[in-house]
Amino acid sequence: MLFRKLFQVLVLGGAVVGSATGCSTRADAQTKPAPRDGGAAADAGTAGGGVKGW
Amino acid sequence: MNEALRRLVGEAWAFRTRVEHDAASRFTRLAAAISSFDPASPAIALMERAAADERRHAGLCAELSLAYGERAPEEGAFPEIAPAGLPPRAAVLYEVVAACCITETESVATVTTLLAAPAEGRVREILHEIARDEVVHGRMGWGHLAREAAQTDVSFLAQWIPTMLAGTADEGLFAEAAPEYESEELLRHGVLPHSRKRAIFVATLEGVVFPGLERFGVDPEAGRTWLAARQGPPPARA
Repeated sequence: MLFRKLFQVLVLGGAVVGSATGCSTRADAQTKPAPRDGGAAADAGTAGGGVKGW
Repeated sequence: MNEALRRLVGEAWAFRTRVEHDAASRFTRLAAAISSFDPASPAIALMERAAADERRHAGLCAELSLAYGERAPEEGAFPEIAPAGLPPRAAVLYEVVAACCITETESVATVTTLLAAPAEGRVREILHEIARDEVVHGRMGWGHLAREAAQTDVSFLAQWIPTMLAGTADEGLFAEAAPEYESEELLRHGVLPHSRKRAIFVATLEGVVFPGLERFGVDPEAGRTWLAARQGPPPARA
């Protein structure tokens, strides 16, 4: 129950927030740019990380 | 409360002080970065506000850390976490997903769980104040992902979800802990017992983070595989 509520508040609520102001360059699926990392992942100089939380 | 438990609680609040300083620094930097490529994004103002919230939270966590006898860490320098090979806008998205969609979402679940248990007066006041803000911080990350997903292909993030998760959760989270870490008394002081913390972490991934990523076009399968590897095989049937 808690997690369903969190999904609604955070994820679905976030979708509303994200579209709230001037999404001027919205593109449809056919015109979306290709993934932006290309093959960069394997060449990344820094391995990447995560963020510690509570 | 015995000395071992007091130290454990103090260390937890000291660690949270550092987490909040880290978040303040990160949100300030991310707000400036987003304004350079999407000046109309609502995430900019939200992140600026979140940075101020996190500085205030750091003060609150430091207050409790000191109350339990631990000196809180000072504000420090916190590095960017995105892989060096990502283009700038993708690197911002990586960091927002790691910091907000994963870590802030986990924090909301943790604080909400803590608030469902009886807690000492000042601890409860602080948890309430932080919970209210953390919901906004989590939502702004999902909002940024939703906005980026509407403009570009965000599926490249899928391969990075295990890296983000590994940086969020210590391997110790999936191991057994000493008995004092399982004490129910911890709840009164704003700290989850170890096994409860692990259960909340896992349930939040399964119930919120993975479905959320999937909704916006990021395949969560690699994340699920990462999680399954740490949880071990399912119990055998009788």
